[in-house]
Amino acid sequence: MLLPRLTALFTSLGLCAFAEAAPTQYPLTIDNCGTPLTFAHAPTRAVTIGQAGTEMLYALGLGNKVAATSLWFNDVLPAYKTQNDKVERLANNEPSFEAVIGKRPELVTVEFEWMVGPQGAVGTREQFHELKIATYLLPSDCEGKDNRVGADGTRLEPFRIDTIYKSIEQLAQIFDVQDRGEQWVTELKAKLAASVAKVQQKGVKQASALVWFSSTDMNVDPFVAGHKGIPDFMLSTLGVRNVVDSDEEWPTVGWETIAKANPTFLVIARMDRRRFPADDHEKKLAFLRSDPVTRNMDAVKHNRIIIVDAMALQASARMFDGLEQLATAIDGYDLPK
Amino acid sequence: MTATLIRTLLALGMLSLAVLAGVAIGETPIDPLVVLQVLANKLWGAGYALNPIDEGIVWNYRLTRALVAAACGAGLATCGVILQSLLRNPLAEPYLLGISAGASTGAVLVALLGVGAGLLTLSAGAFVGAMTAFALVVLLARVSGTSGGAGQIILAGIAGSQLFNAMTAFLITKSASSEQARGILFWLLGNLSGVRWPSVWLAVPVAVAGLVVCLWHRRALDAFTFGVDSAASLGIAVRRVQLVLIGCAALVTAVMVSIVGSIGFVGLVIPHAARLMLGTGHSRLLPASALGGALFLIAADVLSRTLIKGQVIPVGVITALVGAPVFALILIGRRNAR
Repeated sequence: MLLPRLTALFTSLGLCAFAEAAPTQYPLTIDNCGTPLTFAHAPTRAVTIGQAGTEMLYALGLGNKVAATSLWFNDVLPAYKTQNDKVERLANNEPSFEAVIGKRPELVTVEFEWMVGPQGAVGTREQFHELKIATYLLPSDCEGKDNRVGADGTRLEPFRIDTIYKSIEQLAQIFDVQDRGEQWVTELKAKLAASVAKVQQKGVKQASALVWFSSTDMNVDPFVAGHKGIPDFMLSTLGVRNVVDSDEEWPTVGWETIAKANPTFLVIARMDRRRFPADDHEKKLAFLRSDPVTRNMDAVKHNRIIIVDAMALQASARMFDGLEQLATAIDGYDLPK
Repeated sequence: MTATLIRTLLALGMLSLAVLAGVAIGETPIDPLVVLQVLANKLWGAGYALNPIDEGIVWNYRLTRALVAAACGAGLATCGVILQSLLRNPLAEPYLLGISAGASTGAVLVALLGVGAGLLTLSAGAFVGAMTAFALVVLLARVSGTSGGAGQIILAGIAGSQLFNAMTAFLITKSASSEQARGILFWLLGNLSGVRWPSVWLAVPVAVAGLVVCLWHRRALDAFTFGVDSAASLGIAVRRVQLVLIGCAALVTAVMVSIVGSIGFVGLVIPHAARLMLGTGHSRLLPASALGGALFLIAADVLSRTLIKGQVIPVGVITALVGAPVFALILIGRRNAR
C-alpha cells in the first residue's frame, strides 16, 4: 500500500532524485506542540489556516499539495501568485470546520492556536484527529506561549527564531522534501546574519524603538508590540531596545508613556486591512506629524519612521524581509554612535 | 442670594482643584512645578522655557482629559437626576433609553463592517446608533402606551437595549477577529484616552447646556416627584416638559457616549448620593449632582491611569469598582444618621 504511493510521490515531485538529505522514513512520528503526530506517508492533500503556513508550503514547492487555503492578512507574495491563483480559498478569515474537512485533507496547517485550541475558532485538534486528519500547529505560536491568557495569548518566554526554522524543517520532513527545507533554512539564516552584520558595522549604541501596529481610533492608546513577541525579537536581534515592557503580545500603551520614553525610531505597520482608522499607515504618519505631543518626539522630528509590512512582524518567513528592511533603514540614519 | 453665590464659588473652586489634580497626575511623572508653568505659559503667556513634550502632554493630553471627564461626569449625573425624577423610578439611568446599546451597535457597524467607508469615525457611528436606538424606543413607547406613562418608556427602553445588544453581539461574532473584538470592547467599556481639544469644545458646552435646561425646569421636576397627575394639577404642561427633558437627556448622553464610550454607574449612583445628602429639591440637587459627577469621574480617570503602571484600565471599570463601595458607605451612613 505504502510503496506505490511513495513511488508516485517521488515521481510527481521529481525532487528527491537529487536529494542530498536523507529521505524521510515513514511511518514518521513528530511531536507538535505537545501532541504526537504520526504520518504513514507524505500527505497528498493539505488545507492551510493562516497565511504564514500557506506561504511556507509554497516556498517548499508543495503548492500542488495544497487543496485549499484560509485566513489571509495581506496579498500573497508576488512569487507565489500564479500558484496561489490555482488554489481554492475557503475564507479570508477563519473557515468553518465543515469547509475544511469537506476538502478531505490529510493535513491541516494552522498558524494560530486559537483556531484549533481547546476553544478553537475552527474546531479542536481532537475533532480533526478523530477524523484521522493531522493538524500541524506552527511551533512559533505554541512554544513558550500560553494562549489561554490574554486576547492574543501571552508569551511565557521570549519568541525564539528556532521555532520558525523548526516549522520549515518539520513541514519539509512531513512532505519528504528535506533537502529543499534545509536549503531554505540556510538561506534564511544567511539573510538574518547579513542584517545583524549591517547594523553592527554601523556601530549603533543605545538605540530604542516602538512598534505601532494599529489603534481602534486615531487618538486613543495604540496597540504596540510587547517585549516578548516577534517584533521585539527583531529589534533585540539588531541590538535595539523596545520601549514597551509588557508581556502581552500586542498591549495598549498610552501616548504619554511613549512620548516620554522618546524612542530613537518608530516602526509602523502597513496592512491592507481597513477596519480601524489607524490601519492605514498614511494615517499613522499623519497622526505622528500633527499631534502636538508626538510631533515633538525625536524619531518624528528626524523622520526616523520605518514602515514595515504587517506580515513581516509575524512569525512567518517574511519576518526575514522585515529584519533586512529594518537593518537597511537603521544603516541609513544619522545616529549617535 | 449671597449664600448661593458662595456655594457657586465653592463649587467652582472644588472643580478647579479637581481638574488641577487630574492635570498633575498621569501615566508618567511630571514635576508639579512644570505642570503649573505649562498652565501659566498657555493661559497668560508666561514664556517659561519647557520641554515641548511635557508641555504637549500637560496641555493637550491631560487637561483635555480632565475637562472632558468633568463634562461627562456632570452630564451623565444630570441626566440621571432628570430620568429618575421624571420616571419616578430609582433604577432609571441615562443608558436606560437604549442609548449605550445603540451606540455600541453604531460603533461596531463602523469598525467591523466599514459602514460609512472611512468617513464616519467610531464616535460618529456611536452617536448615530444612539439616536436611532432612542428614536425606536420612543416610538415603541408611543405606539404601545396610551398615557405615555413612565412604565411604558422603561419597558420600551429594556426591549430596545436587548435588541441592540444582541445586534452588537451578532456583528462581533460574525465578523470580528479576537484582536478587533478586544479593541471594540475596550472602547465600549469607556475610555478617555482619545480626547483632545475638539472633544472639550463639544462635551463642555453640551454638559452646561443640559444643566441649564434642567435648572430652567426645576420647579416642574419638583412637581413630577409627586406624580404626573399632581404635576398636571399644578398647571405643568406634562407632555411638553416630558418631551423636552427626556429629549435633552438622550441628546446629552448620546454625545457623551460618542466621545468616551459607555461609562456606567455615574448616572445611576451620583444622583442618589446627592439626594441622600441634600434632599429632593431640584434647585440644589441638579447642580450638586453635576458637581459630584464631575469630581467623581475626574478621580476615577486619575485612578485608571495610575493603578497599573504603564497601562490604562478602562475608566468604566474603575467607576463601578470604586463607586459601588462608596455608595454603600453613603447608604449605611444615612441609616445611622436617622
